[in-house]
Amino acid sequence: MKTRALAALTLLLAAPAAAQEGPPDMSGFWGPVFDLGEPAPDMIARLPENTVVIADTGVAEFPIGEFGGLMLTAEAEAIAAEWRPEVELSLDRVCLPQSIIYAMQGPFPFEIHQTPTLIVIRYEYFDQVRLIHMDDREHPADAPHSKMGFSKGHWEGDELVIETSHIAASTITNNGLDHSDGVQMIERYRIDPASGRLTATQWFSDPARLANNGARWIEWQKRAGEYIYPYECDPSFALEYEGR
Amino acid sequence: MKFATALLATMVSLAAPAAAHHSFAVYFDNERPVTLEGTVTAFRFTNPHGLVVIDVTGEDGATHSWRAETNAPVVLQRRGWTRASLRPGTRVTLSGWQARDGSRYLRLREARDAQGRLVGTAAFGQNDG
Repeated sequence: MKTRALAALTLLLAAPAAAQEGPPDMSGFWGPVFDLGEPAPDMIARLPENTVVIADTGVAEFPIGEFGGLMLTAEAEAIAAEWRPEVELSLDRVCLPQSIIYAMQGPFPFEIHQTPTLIVIRYEYFDQVRLIHMDDREHPADAPHSKMGFSKGHWEGDELVIETSHIAASTITNNGLDHSDGVQMIERYRIDPASGRLTATQWFSDPARLANNGARWIEWQKRAGEYIYPYECDPSFALEYEGR
Repeated sequence: MKFATALLATMVSLAAPAAAHHSFAVYFDNERPVTLEGTVTAFRFTNPHGLVVIDVTGEDGATHSWRAETNAPVVLQRRGWTRASLRPGTRVTLSGWQARDGSRYLRLREARDAQGRLVGTAAFGQNDG
């Protein structure tokens, strides 16, 4: 009897320590932050060589012809030269969601639902849902491309590292620079211990369209008691723009 | 109705606007603030953008229809806006940034009712998450 009680007490005392040793809990509702802090030097230092960190996160966006230091290939230059903003607001295109390459830095919140083997991210932007596989599976060669792509994640200490492939072609900067369906993305997420913010580097590489690699520094604040709203994009908005 | 536009002197310090579905920098001119007083003829509250249509009569007596695109209604909802925030027939004053192509189209910064009260809890272009 005494032994059993001692064992129970030992388990009870051990529980908090065990919880602290596991990966951090990133579950919850995260809203975008626009007064960005300084990027964490150690996270920036882990970005691969030949990478430019572009400053279009959240509120800021680039005008036509500006790409924040990204170096376009001839193929990308040709596509950008043909790009017309009014086409993006046409009835056929206005409700096409952008890929995760662009969408994750926008001014919209998301929810993280975290388990040891699967992390689900619900984005308010265009009602998109993303699965992050935390098990041992590999990137399947025959998986279809989608705007969210195929994501595989793992923990490195307190950082969630996600590698994403199979991202359907879409925009990078929303001003004429598009990525191909060969783009690769690596994200590193960490909760800043001082601010409590969720911080991330988003790195992407697309040799067909970019002569260098791109990255962003992004932050979100946890907001208790908030929920994702339905987006339910209505393309008839395009008729209003055409009628201007 | 009174037509008041391009109140540059009082509008130069507007906060940077937020992007939603399409790039603000591509479509709107941050250096062309505009303020309009008129009568609401339509208000739509659907994503990717809400839209307010108002009739504005200029000093020459001519009436023109202006469209003011709002941030996404998912953002508006967190600022106290609803589908019923603006009703046709009511008088409003809208301010924002005009389209780069010079058309009667703007991105809304704020809307005020006939008594000068702000619609919603805060203007746009501050923290639009």
